[in-house]
Amino acid sequence: MMMAPRTEILVEREAEVFRPEIVVLFCQHCVVPDADLTVAGMATSRFKAKLVMIPCTGKIETSQLLSILAEGVDGIQVVGCPRQQCHRLDGNLRAEKRVERVRQFLHEIRMGTERLDMERGLDFSGLQLMLLAERRANAVKPLGPNPMKGDSD
Amino acid sequence: MIIAEAKPILELVQQLAGLRRVLIAGCGCCVAECAAGGEREVETLAPLLRMALQVEGHPLEILTKTVERQCEWEFVEELAELVPKVDAVLSLACGIGVQAVAERFPDVLVYPGVNTTSLALREEAGLWVARCQACGDCRLGETFGLCPVARCAKSLQNGPCGGTRKNGKCEVDENLDCVWNLIVERAIARGQLETLLRVRPPKDWSNSHHGGPKQMLREDLRP
Repeated sequence: MMMAPRTEILVEREAEVFRPEIVVLFCQHCVVPDADLTVAGMATSRFKAKLVMIPCTGKIETSQLLSILAEGVDGIQVVGCPRQQCHRLDGNLRAEKRVERVRQFLHEIRMGTERLDMERGLDFSGLQLMLLAERRANAVKPLGPNPMKGDSD
Repeated sequence: MIIAEAKPILELVQQLAGLRRVLIAGCGCCVAECAAGGEREVETLAPLLRMALQVEGHPLEILTKTVERQCEWEFVEELAELVPKVDAVLSLACGIGVQAVAERFPDVLVYPGVNTTSLALREEAGLWVARCQACGDCRLGETFGLCPVARCAKSLQNGPCGGTRKNGKCEVDENLDCVWNLIVERAIARGQLETLLRVRPPKDWSNSHHGGPKQMLREDLRP
């Protein structure tokens, strides 16, 4: 008896693919004035991103970074001005220390330091912010989803 | 000011593993000033502990409240509404506050969240240096405002040990100024070096750490 050829189609079910959720906290002075920030809404199968503009990275508190992660976000990318170019003198330097402190916490509690990092630069476009988000997502992927997913209050 | 340092997070995880709900109680006084146990530190520790315990497989619900001072009964009372709802209180106050909470709420587990270390001055942002050891017999007027009890590595009372380094640093700790060198320099600057040669009665060490808890009683302030 001749058997009909079998074609197996592998369907990648979206629910089984880890799409890291990345929050980008960026200083308003790091982006070009007409940056298209709606790019975050563009669909991508690789990751999800939320772009959050803040007046200065110096406004970011350690507790805020930890709270965002405790809500289940997989990773945070902070984007601030270059070291000597903060509009508020040393806000970016304070942010750098706070980011490093939280990275140390993440290492101690075995959540993975790569869930948080800081990038410095100027004149980013919306697309470039998304590229930074993708880079963060790629760094987070080996760590797996945030253990807090589905457990936020 | 009493200063304290945050306990390692893994030590807190070990203490709290297995509990269902914990109240983190902050103190708005000394530990807030030294960034160890105030409201900001409570709001930092709460999500951090939640994540740490989730990773360890012991999910924990955390309530938070910061009171003005945990060394006054009236403020400790503000925790009364929340304490019955939790399995334990993690107090970020100094040892005084932790004990006050434990005494007021004897039926709940109370854990310290910080290590109380010393009485210190904030020399500059982010740096606190011990300046007092509560010896109970203050002689700062005789040493030009510099305390050899707290600031001398050997707590010498009669002058330098003879091991002061050429740069004025202590022989025990090369990063520490020899306080007797500072005292002598200040005496010279004021033209009063000879006052250090006066014979003084022995220091009264009866307030020292051994011998049980100290008390101060003021009859004029009692009801």
